[in-house]
Amino acid sequence: MTTFDLLLQQTINGLSLGAMYALLALGFTLVYGILELINFSHFNVFMVGSFVGLWTLQSFGLSGQDVILTGLPLAGVLLVAFAVTMLATGALGVAIERLCLRPLRDVKGPAAMITTIGVSYILFNVILLSVGADQKNYPNPLPTVRFQLAGAVLDLRVILIWIVALALMAGLWLFVQRSRLGKAMRATAQDPEAARMMGVDVDRVIVIAFFAGSALAGAGGLIFGLYYNYTSFLIGFTTGLRAFTAAVLGGIGSVPGAMAGGVIIGMIEAMSGQFIATAWTDVIIFSILVLVLVFRPTGLFGRLAPVKS
Amino acid sequence: MSPAGLVSALSQISPARRRQGLTGLVLIAALLFPVLHANDADIDSMANAAAYATLALGLNIVVGFAGLLDLGYAAFFAIGAYTYGILSSYQLMPPWGAFWEPLQTLGLVARMPGESGGADVVHFTLSFWLALPFSAAVAALFGVVFGAPTLRLKGDYLAIVTLGFGEIVPIVVRNCSGLTGGAAGLNGVAPPRIDGFSFGVSATPYYYVAIAMVALLIFVSGRLRDSRIGRAWMAIREDEIAAAAMGINRTQFKLLAFSIGAAFGGMTGVFYVAKLQTATPEMFGFPVSVMILVMIVFGGIGSVWGVVLGAFILQLLQSWWLQDMTQWLHAAGRLVGNAWLQRIDLVPSIELIFGIILVAMMLFRRQGLIPAVRPQAALSMDQQQAAVRRGGFSGLTLAGIGGLSHHAMALEIRGITVRFGGLTALNEVSLVVPQGSVVAVIGPNGSGKSTLFNTITGLVAADGGSVIFHDEDITRLPPHAILARGIARTFQNLRLFPNLTVMENALIGQHARLRTGVFAAIFRPRWSRVEEVTARSRAMQIFAIFGNRLTPRVGQMVAGLSYANRRRIEIARALASQPTLLLLDEPTAGMNPAETLELAEQVKSLNQLGLTVLLIEHKLDVVTTLADTVYVLDHGEVIAQGSPADVRKDEAVLVAYLGRNAQAAVAGMAGA
Amino acid sequence: MLLQFKDIDTHYGDLHVLKQVNYSIEAGEIVALLGGNASGKSTTMKTIMGVVRPTRGSVIFDGRPIEKLPTAERVRRGIAPVLEARRLFPRMTVFENLEMGAYLRKRGAEFNQDLDRVYTLFPRVKERRTQIAGTLSGGEQQMVAMGRALMARPRLLCMDEPSMGLSPIYVEQVFDIIQEINRQGTTIFMVEQNANMALSVAHRAYVLQTGQVVLSGGAAELRRNPMIREAYLGEMQVTP
Repeated sequence: MTTFDLLLQQTINGLSLGAMYALLALGFTLVYGILELINFSHFNVFMVGSFVGLWTLQSFGLSGQDVILTGLPLAGVLLVAFAVTMLATGALGVAIERLCLRPLRDVKGPAAMITTIGVSYILFNVILLSVGADQKNYPNPLPTVRFQLAGAVLDLRVILIWIVALALMAGLWLFVQRSRLGKAMRATAQDPEAARMMGVDVDRVIVIAFFAGSALAGAGGLIFGLYYNYTSFLIGFTTGLRAFTAAVLGGIGSVPGAMAGGVIIGMIEAMSGQFIATAWTDVIIFSILVLVLVFRPTGLFGRLAPVKS
Repeated sequence: MSPAGLVSALSQISPARRRQGLTGLVLIAALLFPVLHANDADIDSMANAAAYATLALGLNIVVGFAGLLDLGYAAFFAIGAYTYGILSSYQLMPPWGAFWEPLQTLGLVARMPGESGGADVVHFTLSFWLALPFSAAVAALFGVVFGAPTLRLKGDYLAIVTLGFGEIVPIVVRNCSGLTGGAAGLNGVAPPRIDGFSFGVSATPYYYVAIAMVALLIFVSGRLRDSRIGRAWMAIREDEIAAAAMGINRTQFKLLAFSIGAAFGGMTGVFYVAKLQTATPEMFGFPVSVMILVMIVFGGIGSVWGVVLGAFILQLLQSWWLQDMTQWLHAAGRLVGNAWLQRIDLVPSIELIFGIILVAMMLFRRQGLIPAVRPQAALSMDQQQAAVRRGGFSGLTLAGIGGLSHHAMALEIRGITVRFGGLTALNEVSLVVPQGSVVAVIGPNGSGKSTLFNTITGLVAADGGSVIFHDEDITRLPPHAILARGIARTFQNLRLFPNLTVMENALIGQHARLRTGVFAAIFRPRWSRVEEVTARSRAMQIFAIFGNRLTPRVGQMVAGLSYANRRRIEIARALASQPTLLLLDEPTAGMNPAETLELAEQVKSLNQLGLTVLLIEHKLDVVTTLADTVYVLDHGEVIAQGSPADVRKDEAVLVAYLGRNAQAAVAGMAGA
Repeated sequence: MLLQFKDIDTHYGDLHVLKQVNYSIEAGEIVALLGGNASGKSTTMKTIMGVVRPTRGSVIFDGRPIEKLPTAERVRRGIAPVLEARRLFPRMTVFENLEMGAYLRKRGAEFNQDLDRVYTLFPRVKERRTQIAGTLSGGEQQMVAMGRALMARPRLLCMDEPSMGLSPIYVEQVFDIIQEINRQGTTIFMVEQNANMALSVAHRAYVLQTGQVVLSGGAAELRRNPMIREAYLGEMQVTP
């Protein structure tokens, strides 16, 4: 393959990874924008989502590549899988907020963030202890259809992922920009006290933010499984820090920032894996995180600067 | 002796003595443990637990004392470990050269034949005992390298960045396998030797080294906590802005906490790798950083004994108790015939337990098992019922509270302009404060008075103009440097250190005037002890200004005191820094007329002793009593200045306060 | 009586901010609350909106006590705030800010009526309706803030320092509009530091000093009262 072909292939990969990171980063940034809270558990909600997706697909009798579906049954199965996964993770997110975070809403300092670390550990270990440490095969009901794009290969799976991710992002964008609750969310993120004085129920807005963010994480988890054909209890941690870097790079609290950041990090991961070495990808991404926070804390689009006055 | 008699005898002993007694008992128990319980595996577990206790103590300095959340602490553990590991193993073997000969004489390296009879190579033989301080220093250096660019970030972000560092270090270690052995681990780390005796396989010598380390670090932590250094850290933790305004160089002290914590971690790394005689990257990942965090959260953030206890309990939980508990559950399962209970294994669920502990502690007991308490002295009945006395200035000299100065002008503000985004908060503001005078700044809400104070004291940067203090341009200086030069302030909205005592708040005020550094804090040479005693008596002298209001409460936490007393403490704290110029921002806010009058008189007395005062105040009777000159600010500009009498009659002032236009109404009011 | 404060005490911790304060505001009036720095004016507004709860006493709106109700409920019953320093949602458009004012209301004929009314009162706001609120000047933001409050179709409009930070030209405009809004039927309770302007539009006024009402009465008579100056400059001797 020529360099151009490699570049093209990695661009395709990068965009797929980017779609996943963008969804994760979006969910994370929604919560941060309102609460200014770094929610560590978000990334293990993503991991739980991938398992819920796995079990949902398995409940249809799907396993590995044994069963291939097309057309309406395929669409139906995927729709149900996404719906169930997103509802489950959304509910999980709401539970976390109500049980663990709301009591700490008025406590200053790192207490809430430390709690999210604890919740993250709990999710991680519950899954580990329940299903074991081995990687689980993900059912792949899609027919193997490939398109040639110059020297690169474009899988049907990848197109599906792009479509789903774009649809979800568009949906979120519309919600946040056009709907009454979405505007209430934006208003609360910009000035919670003024929003309250307009009659906004800030508690409810926070719950919605957690639900939406966690549902997106769940969708991301299902996408992970479909893309990589596997899932395991570890994926939250590894993917999580990349998605977090994406959110910070794009500008913490900014919705377009999370999308842009996700794509950029996805591209970097793909290119780094191809042209440098996968072993160093993590170092590169963490270094980006550190450099952004040190030199340009607002990120590309953000306004909330994480620097002490 | 009867039990009742024993109890009553014990309660006669003072708390301090009791603590010492308890410490002694614990020490004896620790020393005797391997003798009494000669199970090598158990001694090994205790040694590991002690190692984690030193890690917990190190993180406690960073998180507990200084309030800096570090989620990548294991990086320093790794750095210390690999420093010793590489310098005492066969991992790194550069070719021999003349350069190495002096080091060979010092016993730091040895010369060995190369592989397959090739050229001679260097074999590093850094001794364990030397490695302890050396690796600690290397880790501390990395602490500075990581901390310098990142310690100014907000708490959550600092945590993430440290997490990032904590991840990068093991990955780099894994990838640079030529240097570190990569994932396979270090090759052949030398065990410690004393006098030719090599530590070998038994855990007991390691155990004693670990106990010695824990004891040492408990001692050092305690000394630091109770010193000027510890106070500075806690001030930063409680309120960074106020800490800076009281003369604490935040960057320096944050780096100090970070690097001392790193040093503790590095030292433990040496011990750990010497004991295992190898090191792999897995030993230093995020889970380890989290485990240490759980230990200090569980034990009690900020409490020295608490974190040690937390570390021991959690480590022993892993080594001993979970296995026992698993056996019990199996037995119970057999008893009730439940198959699940019979198969369950608690040991791998340790991380789940950590997660639950974190959440539970944050929700239900944030202070941990042993809370970090500030020593509190309750008021006696007499003290509570004592009639309030106003106090006085007898015995208080200006040298006690400030210096004399030969400059005619204490402070000159020339054309200061400050903009916040599109809003001009101060526009070409100029004023002078003559030495020994009281100058008041008044003006309606939003006129820029507090911004002016913030600009003078360096909390806000000016966009134009200059601030001259005693003929020196201080415009660009950081807040702590301005305090050091003799300008102290109070805050309109009170910025005391809420979880510290009255005395500690006043001692922090003296931070810039005391000299005790890290070494003096640990070793307490005579001059440092004298300095501390003098500082306390100086604080008491200042408290005496306020009669018996503050004096009986010096051991109490500030958060529980009345509003008026908190205002007084803030003034006392500022006075403790021995200023030549005192900036008071609405000192009588929230006080009733009697308290207001009293405070005004106290300020007047201070001024009569020679202290120059710049005052923001909106109660004009206070201004009239105290001020020699009044400046009136409105919308960021000086619209009037002069004696209080002149200013009260000034039409511009009336307009500023009461509103523009309606000339007739103004004329009517002024004339009536 | 539309709004009444009965023997209200508020505290921040142990700081006694409002001391046995009584106000009464009749429907259709403009009532001004005057006073110097730290007199308790802001706390009054916060108590009405529910951001601060009184330690003692009762706030009665339209005959029913509201001091224990959440903010949203008070807005629903007809109280809308124009906040100190405007506090528009800076990254939302002018129109979206107006929409947020009507957050608790349904879209429909009444909404559109009120929108037209706001656009008529504030032509500049109509011009700038798609502009991001944070980019407007102080005076324009004040217009939007007032419009936002009017979108709630309130019975009582609570204005917190409407003239703060505005240039004199805008101050005149704002107070003209306040009078117009009142003429159209909205009761206005206004906290204001600029006593002159406030008294030129208000029917009645209260003067606060360190948390106590030291003067009250008709606007005209207060304007002639020399004690106002003393109260503002913090000189009035008050029996504690």
